[in-house]
Formats: sequence, C-alpha cells, structure tokens
Amino acid sequence: MNTNSNAYTVIYTAIVVIVVAATLALVSQKLGPMQAANEKAETISQILTAAQFGQKEHWQEIGNAQTIKFFEENLDGGATVASTADLKALNYKIKDGSINAEELPVYSFKNGVSVIAVYGAGLWGPVWGYIALDKDFKTVVGAYFDHESESPGLGGKIKDDASFRARFAGKKVIYGEGEPFSIVKGGAPEGKENAVDAITGATMTSKGLNAAIVSWLNAYRTSIEAAQNAPDTLEGMAETSNAEEE
Amino acid sequence: MGKMKETILNPILKGNPITVLVLGICSSLAVTVELKGALVMALSVTVVTGLSSLVCSLLRNTIPNRVRIIVQLVVVALMVILVDQFLKAFEATYSIDKALSVYIGLIITNCIVMGRIEAFALGNKPLPSFLDGLANGLGYGMILIVVAFVRELLGSGTLFGLQVIPQCLYNAGYVNNGLVILPPFALILLGCIIWVHRSIDKSLQEK
Repeated sequence: MNTNSNAYTVIYTAIVVIVVAATLALVSQKLGPMQAANEKAETISQILTAAQFGQKEHWQEIGNAQTIKFFEENLDGGATVASTADLKALNYKIKDGSINAEELPVYSFKNGVSVIAVYGAGLWGPVWGYIALDKDFKTVVGAYFDHESESPGLGGKIKDDASFRARFAGKKVIYGEGEPFSIVKGGAPEGKENAVDAITGATMTSKGLNAAIVSWLNAYRTSIEAAQNAPDTLEGMAETSNAEEE
Repeated sequence: MGKMKETILNPILKGNPITVLVLGICSSLAVTVELKGALVMALSVTVVTGLSSLVCSLLRNTIPNRVRIIVQLVVVALMVILVDQFLKAFEATYSIDKALSVYIGLIITNCIVMGRIEAFALGNKPLPSFLDGLANGLGYGMILIVVAFVRELLGSGTLFGLQVIPQCLYNAGYVNNGLVILPPFALILLGCIIWVHRSIDKSLQEK
C-alpha cells in the first residue's frame, strides 16, 4: 500500500486522533471521581491553611480522610465545598455583575474565623485562593493562594513563598475608601492597613491576583459589610453560612 | 542477546541522554530540588519513553512519512496525559504531581522522548524499541536522582523529606546552602558529573 498518498495520510491521521481521543476520554471518565476526591481534599487543606489551623504540609501528612474529618468537625454548621470549577463559574457571574453576595462561599469555623474565596486570571492561567477573616470580618487572619500554570520561582511564589502569604496576616479589609484590599507593586505604603507588597519579578501574576481579590471582595461586599456592622458578629456569620447551605 | 544487552546498557552509560547527548537539561535543573519529585519525574519519563517507543515501533511501517513527526507527537502527548491523569488520581502521588506542576506536561517536549522515537523506534522491532525507551528513561532518571540527592542533602539537610543532617551540627553553626536549591547549582553539578563521566570513559573525549 502506498503510505505516502494524500488519502492514506488523511485517513491515517484521522484514525490516530480518534483512537487517542477515545482513550483519553475513557481514562478521564474512569479516573474522574478519584481525581475529584483528591481535589476536594486539596481545596479543604487550602482553606484550613488559610484559616491557620496548620501548615499546608501538615494536611498532606495526615492524609485526605483526616483532613476532611478535621474540616467537618471544626466547621460551624455545614457548607458545601466549592471546587475550583465552581469558583470559575462564580467568577463569570461576578464579571457579569449578576452575582448575589450570598451565593459566594463562606466557610465559618467554630473559633470565629471565616474563610472567603477569590478567583481570577494570573499570567498563564487561573489563580485562586482563600482569605481567612477574624470574628470582626475586618482583620485578615491568613491567606493561601494557588495557581494552575504560573512560572515556578516567579508567579509561582504566590503559592510557594510562605513569606508572601504571611504578609496578609494582621491586615484589614476596609470598604468605602478606595479598593477594599490591594497588592501594591513597589511596596505598600507605610501604615496602610489594607495593602500588601507585590512579588518582585512577578508583576503580571501579582496584578492578576490583586484584580481577583478586589473583584471578589467587592462581590462579597454586602455580606461582609453586614457582618462587620452586626452588633453580634456571630449572628451575621450564621446568616451567611445558612444562605450558603441553600 | 549481546545486542539486547547493549541496547539496554548503552543509554545508561556510554550514550547517557543527559551526560553525553546533553538532552533533557531543562527538567533536570527544575525538578531536582527534592528526591521525591525527581524520582516521580524519572519514573514518569521512563514510562513515557518506553511506551511511546513501543507504540511508534508497532506503527512504524504504517506511519505516512510526511506526517510522522505529528503522529509521534500525538502518541507522546497521549502517554504524557495518561501519566498525568494517573498521578492525579492517587492520593500518594497527587501532591507530588502538584509540586511538579508544569514539568509533567512538559515531558512532551523532552528531547529524549522524540529523539529516541526518531532515531531508534522507527527503524527497530517493538521489543528492542521498548527496551531502548526504558533504558533511556533510566539513564535520564539516574542522573536526576544523583543531582537531587546532592541538592536535597546540601540544600535542605534532608533525604526524601527525612532529616539526615543531625540537629547538633546546626547547633554548632552549620547552615543549609541556599545556592544548592537554585537551578544554577544544578547546572554546575551536571557539569561536574559530565566531567567525571568523560574522565572515566576516555572514548568520549574528542581528540
């Protein structure tokens, strides 16, 4: 058979592509549930790390089952865990302006800390993360960020550099005067309570993360502000977590 | 039988993809900070080179010459995605897969994989091709492990995440070397390994 004819080449490549695609589809379908379980545990470990219940490595050591158990035991009320794909869908709604603050995930823990999510575009792919707020819904307790394909050693530092995450602790989320929170290139002004320094060498990733934080905090505004102003902040928090359950 | 032995041993010693052909340098600088990551990377590359060479060798008489690179690429990409999917599916390997991030996907562009298919698998029977692929992966992995061993030991004082440099040394003023963690040191170390390899095997030296 002439393997160099046009018809042969076209049919051959078509068959190869179909076989490969079918194999990938089958494998992805079979392994999907296992991957989803790992991703859920990963998301939970990120939330717990942001809330300062332990270092990221700790959750890895104790394993998926123990991590999920710890999460459920410490959670105040129940909350469905929003996957990264869910955050992406919510991010589209935020961009549309069709978002209701109550739809956004809030993970309230028994010790009074509440964790909110952020999601946006980095330089090469999505960046997302979790910011933990104290009882007053103003003070940031901690944060954890992750990304899909930022450059290791540059943009990847939002995840790998613990000192970057540490900059968030003790800062405040303030509505009403400018952005509620920002990551500032060249260094946050001295004494500014709601800003942290950007990462040197990762301007685009820092900008993307900043945009993600600003747009999500603005989307959260009504529920966070209600909680900030509530005389008993615990009640305000219960409301948001109830809304989350529905 | 002698030929088979040579197929397996040559890529590991005399024709080592990293120290002699100087291929796959990018990933060997990037994933050798820790032994665990290097081991998973080495195994992944071995599986990918072995299976891609096997499949391409099976197809070698049917592949249209004009699109052969594309067909090879599709086969390699399939293997890489499969490896990535399997790593993501198991709890033990999920975090390593996350730590290796883009580098698992970048096995597709590892010159060793395509190089062995072009140079060997397309002209040889499936079994020798499969062994050639595996051996090249092992030759690559071996260097990766050596580099990662030195870097993790001197850079973090650990091996496979376990502390091996005793605390009393730290108390006496010993500090982990920060340079060792950074990619430039991996390149220096690779240079040293190539140097040693060439001094031992005189046939590699140019006149």
